[in-house]
Amino acid sequence: MTPDRHRSARIEFPNELEILITREFDAPIALVFEVLTKPEHVSKWGATPPDRMTKCTIDLRAGGAYHHVFVTEDGTECSFRGTYLEIEPPIRTMKTWRFDGWPDAEAVETMHLHETDGVTTLTMRLAFRDKAGRDHMTRFDGQQDSFDAMEDILTSLLDPTGMPPT
Amino acid sequence: MARSPTTSDVFNAIAEVHRREILDALMAGEKAVGTIVADLSLSQPQVSKHLRVLSEVGLVKCRAQGRHRLYTLEPARLRPLHEWLSRYEQTWNERLDRIDDYLNELQKRGEQQ
Repeated sequence: MTPDRHRSARIEFPNELEILITREFDAPIALVFEVLTKPEHVSKWGATPPDRMTKCTIDLRAGGAYHHVFVTEDGTECSFRGTYLEIEPPIRTMKTWRFDGWPDAEAVETMHLHETDGVTTLTMRLAFRDKAGRDHMTRFDGQQDSFDAMEDILTSLLDPTGMPPT
Repeated sequence: MARSPTTSDVFNAIAEVHRREILDALMAGEKAVGTIVADLSLSQPQVSKHLRVLSEVGLVKCRAQGRHRLYTLEPARLRPLHEWLSRYEQTWNERLDRIDDYLNELQKRGEQQ
């Protein structure tokens, strides 16, 4: 019987600049790596309906660029881009991350995969270059509007391929 | 975007590792400053500085007993943080569940072929 891993992500804030997300998948490491790094797969799971992914390019090599564009239900477009720094299939990728709406917050995202007995563990570590970037994510002033806006951007920021605000 | 001052922001107040340790120490109940100092092997001035930040955002409450100042946790003030984390966790789980479903679908398709 395959265990149900739904809603089983672990989210940690190991220090002031990093966010760590861990999740297990019942799939071999090579397949998980493909699904996370090939545009034909990412475009399948990337957007949460009713949002649509309108562009998904991934040049999977060190120095290669990626660019993801999403359109929300009300027609708002948002875009995420960056450069791959290191590629080690099917174990690891490291890339820069930039959200068009947040030009001052650059992060480096390291994705690590590990397989044991057919179960692949995904660990994503998002490290901001400086505290100003991370503060985008922790700012809370008690106002609902900014709270919601922050959450939307956060959602986008932390996605491995760059998700739209929902 | 400007940083929120540490003194008005629960998130920034707990972003500092020693302040989180102080909150952990207070989970067990009310403690005097001296006890916290002993628990955490920090200096008295450091602990006092962090306690001041924590009380300014309302995460701890202080009362005087004789010449001692006793601190207690105000867990209700952690509620916004808890709510934020829950929503954040929910969003992430939804994203990863989508990947999970897609992986299952691919594997099923592979078995059929």
